[in-house]
Amino acid sequence: MTDVSNDVTNNPANSVTGGVTGGVGTVYARGLRKSFGDRVVLDRIDLDVKCGEIVCLIGPSGSGKSTLLRCVNGLEEVDRGVLRVNGEDLGFRETDNAYQALPRKELAAQRTRIGMVFQQFNLFPNMTARENVMSGPVLVKGTPKREASQRADSLLASVGLEGHGEHYPWQMSGGQQQRVAIARALAMDPQVMLFDEPTSALDPERVGEVLAVMKDLAERGMTMMVATHEMGFAKEVADTVMFMDGGLVVEQGPSKNVICNPKEPRTQKFLEKVLV
Amino acid sequence: MKTTEKPRVHQRGLLEYAAWALCLLIVIGVAHTLATNENYQWGVVAQYFTAPTVLKGLVLTLVLTALTMFFGTILAMFIAILRVSKVRPLMLLASGYITFFRGTPVLVQLIFWFNIAALYPNIRIGIPFTDVSQAVDVNALMSATTAAIVGLSMNVAAYLAEIIRGGFASVDKGQLEAADSLGMSGRTKLWRIIIPQSMPTVIPAVGNQVIGMFKETSLVSVLGVAELLQSVQLIYARTYQTIPLLIVACLWYLLMTLALSYPQSLIEKKYSRSKSRVATGAAQPQLPLDATVGGEAR
Repeated sequence: MTDVSNDVTNNPANSVTGGVTGGVGTVYARGLRKSFGDRVVLDRIDLDVKCGEIVCLIGPSGSGKSTLLRCVNGLEEVDRGVLRVNGEDLGFRETDNAYQALPRKELAAQRTRIGMVFQQFNLFPNMTARENVMSGPVLVKGTPKREASQRADSLLASVGLEGHGEHYPWQMSGGQQQRVAIARALAMDPQVMLFDEPTSALDPERVGEVLAVMKDLAERGMTMMVATHEMGFAKEVADTVMFMDGGLVVEQGPSKNVICNPKEPRTQKFLEKVLV
Repeated sequence: MKTTEKPRVHQRGLLEYAAWALCLLIVIGVAHTLATNENYQWGVVAQYFTAPTVLKGLVLTLVLTALTMFFGTILAMFIAILRVSKVRPLMLLASGYITFFRGTPVLVQLIFWFNIAALYPNIRIGIPFTDVSQAVDVNALMSATTAAIVGLSMNVAAYLAEIIRGGFASVDKGQLEAADSLGMSGRTKLWRIIIPQSMPTVIPAVGNQVIGMFKETSLVSVLGVAELLQSVQLIYARTYQTIPLLIVACLWYLLMTLALSYPQSLIEKKYSRSKSRVATGAAQPQLPLDATVGGEAR
């Protein structure tokens, strides 16, 4: 059942608006709007993230970066606009006159193709590092435990945590926990990775190790959207930087242009304060 | 003595000395009356303390506690899951159950179950809309013991359901989001993330309910179930040695409660420690508990 409906949503000819608006590994949005009660937290958001592109979202706290990522993952539902991730309308099916919410099962299936890394890591404290990484494949995809365990060990090794499989989250530093969280997301073989301020909760000396893992991931061609305050990372690794403020995208463009030569006064003011 | 080596001491306050004196006075007073008032009839207490009837009653009390907690916990888990359901009618059903059973006295509920046959003398258990069915005589089915188990289980389930729900609510929201982001289904999330993580909150509270239930079973004596209290009542109805036999019952209740409190304190210690580890999310040195509060300050 799920497969059939996925085919339908994947097929551009079935889309009412028509035209190819992205495929696997892309994020496409037009006119996104999101509000909590009366407060509009995202407005007029357009996204065109290509496969393999690295997009950094920068801006002051409360500017909507996190909310945007949470919308792209379906943790928050947008009020209005078009949102397609991996070429599929996220959480909804387009009909002639509405977007019809998908059953939760189908949204869950879409989410398996989108990886998310949280500011607070959110590792499962009742599981070891290895079990955390195995949790997606085993509990969601039904991968045999032995296979998932081997895969988990190689993923842990790829984030520099060889031999930490037996450790529980509370036995690890923040940087190590965040790397386990990245491995856990990668275990689902996502086509898009979202990072919600992944280094903001870390001790300063632990930030580098997490950024290094992310940079490595970027070089391997993963599509990534990263909300961050690390301007150095944004400048060096991102293809595109979006500066957000008050729920709007104020300025966007190639990372060096936005960070080194911002055009908008609001961007200039923000960067002046951050890049001291 | 070198100034750097002088210990830091705290002087006991006047209040503490006064409290000790009061304590001593109370203990002496109670001991005196226990020893000199012959109406306590300690000989009778000793005589009946291990009487077969009393021991049989004690065993039944323990069995009742175990059975009601077993059925109550299963029912409570089910109700708690419905209570947090996003499907509104299911949630309302569960909260209706909880409101009713917590809002009426358990003693009344017990008598009600015992007399349920007055309301439904016969029920037919069968498959709806078919001829396959079996008539059940409710009066015969609802014996005093059955009514006791049903009544206590259904009552404690309401309290346990709220405890379990509180445990569910104690799980960090980020955990649910992480599970969602991996595409976990609602059921997987419940059984693999929410339930295991709510255990540190739930288990100590359930332990307290076990201790409470042990004493609450004395209520079913009104139905004539020969548990501990009813057993001693049967004896003193015959011998008129009311006080000594009630003391026998009290001593057993107290002894068993103390016996249950020890594992309970171990459970609480175990889970409070693992909980604090989870909460801080960082490795903490494992100090023995006494080391942090030791020494002269006490």
